[in-house]
Amino acid sequence: MKIEKEPISGQYGKFKIDGISHRIYWEEAGQGIPLVCLHTAGSDGRQYRALLNDKKILEKFRVLVFDMPWHGKSSPPENSSIGNYKLSTDLYISQILSFIDGLELVKPVVMGCSIGGRIILHLAIHFPEKFRALIGLQSAGHLDPYYDINWLHRQDVHGGEVCGGIAYGLMAPTSPEKEKFETMWHYMQGGPGIFKGDLFFYKYDGNIGNEIKKIDNSKCPIYLLTGEYDYSATPEETKSLADTIGIEMVKMKNVGHFPMSENPEEFLKYLHPVLEKIN
Amino acid sequence: MFMKLKEKEKVRESLATMAQYLTTHFMISTVENEYLINIEKGIVTSIQEGPFVMPSYIFKLTASKDEWLKFLQPTPQPGSHDIIAMLRRKVLKFEGDLHPLMSHLLYFKLLLASLRPVEIKNEN
Repeated sequence: MKIEKEPISGQYGKFKIDGISHRIYWEEAGQGIPLVCLHTAGSDGRQYRALLNDKKILEKFRVLVFDMPWHGKSSPPENSSIGNYKLSTDLYISQILSFIDGLELVKPVVMGCSIGGRIILHLAIHFPEKFRALIGLQSAGHLDPYYDINWLHRQDVHGGEVCGGIAYGLMAPTSPEKEKFETMWHYMQGGPGIFKGDLFFYKYDGNIGNEIKKIDNSKCPIYLLTGEYDYSATPEETKSLADTIGIEMVKMKNVGHFPMSENPEEFLKYLHPVLEKIN
Repeated sequence: MFMKLKEKEKVRESLATMAQYLTTHFMISTVENEYLINIEKGIVTSIQEGPFVMPSYIFKLTASKDEWLKFLQPTPQPGSHDIIAMLRRKVLKFEGDLHPLMSHLLYFKLLLASLRPVEIKNEN
């Protein structure tokens, strides 16, 4: 029987993150300019499955997606225990830089969604010279808590069910059910406390105030795209961020918080013109 | 507005498997009207429309009639498409013991969304 093979290859490697060895899984496809993609809180690299299969992008870009430690197929570091996971800004930056340095990627483009859309702002503030361009999906400078995230990790509530339920609502009602289900499923497969631990970065440690003004778009071009149905990082918040930086933002119709995963077809219509600008 | 849940037998049957250990009763309020909904093993067994003299319930969801109507559109607008989105806009209030709701969040979202009219797409 013939199968439809995808051009994606997956690998494991040991990376030193803050001096500690981590077993990290990543997938890649294509050749050319390195494009490192960052998944959202509590999910994993499968969110970028459409990009890793997009012929047009793969002609020009080497797309790489790693699962953060504790996520997807990447392991927790040694001596970990359940319930103590918290993602900090510094740790997140270390993970990204370790991955880039470990694979000797020169001047990559980094594209991140949600927490990934926030961390690219930190990268723009502190390491603009390292990147060819930064792309933020669902980016906002800060987010105040609007529901009690303790519900995401309680022994009397199934974590997969509640995290999936939260993720489901962040998607557009117009996105295809098949892709929405898969996106939700990734959330349902997350480990206990991991989504909540990532949100520590998103709602507390990674919040950026006036430092946004330090972002200099001439040192590293920044592109911001946000789905109209996202109520976590709303288009209005991305617009305010873009105004502060002095750039335009793109509001994507018919998508929510997970554009690349919930509605890849629609998302790629917006992403292709952005990638065409990067050389 | 919510009495129609009684008519959604097929939806209720398919959702029941997601909530087979859920037995609860909750209130939905539109401020002007109140509805008490009873669920047994994931199945909506009764819905009563107020006014009530001494209603008893585990948790309560309150939003104005206008906001519920926006939520119940066939394709709701951003910010009205999800109960957490409404919470974020501070137009919906969660009260009471939220454990049954949060431990079956997707179930309740789909149950409420089942009240939306299905849009008939004209392929021509």
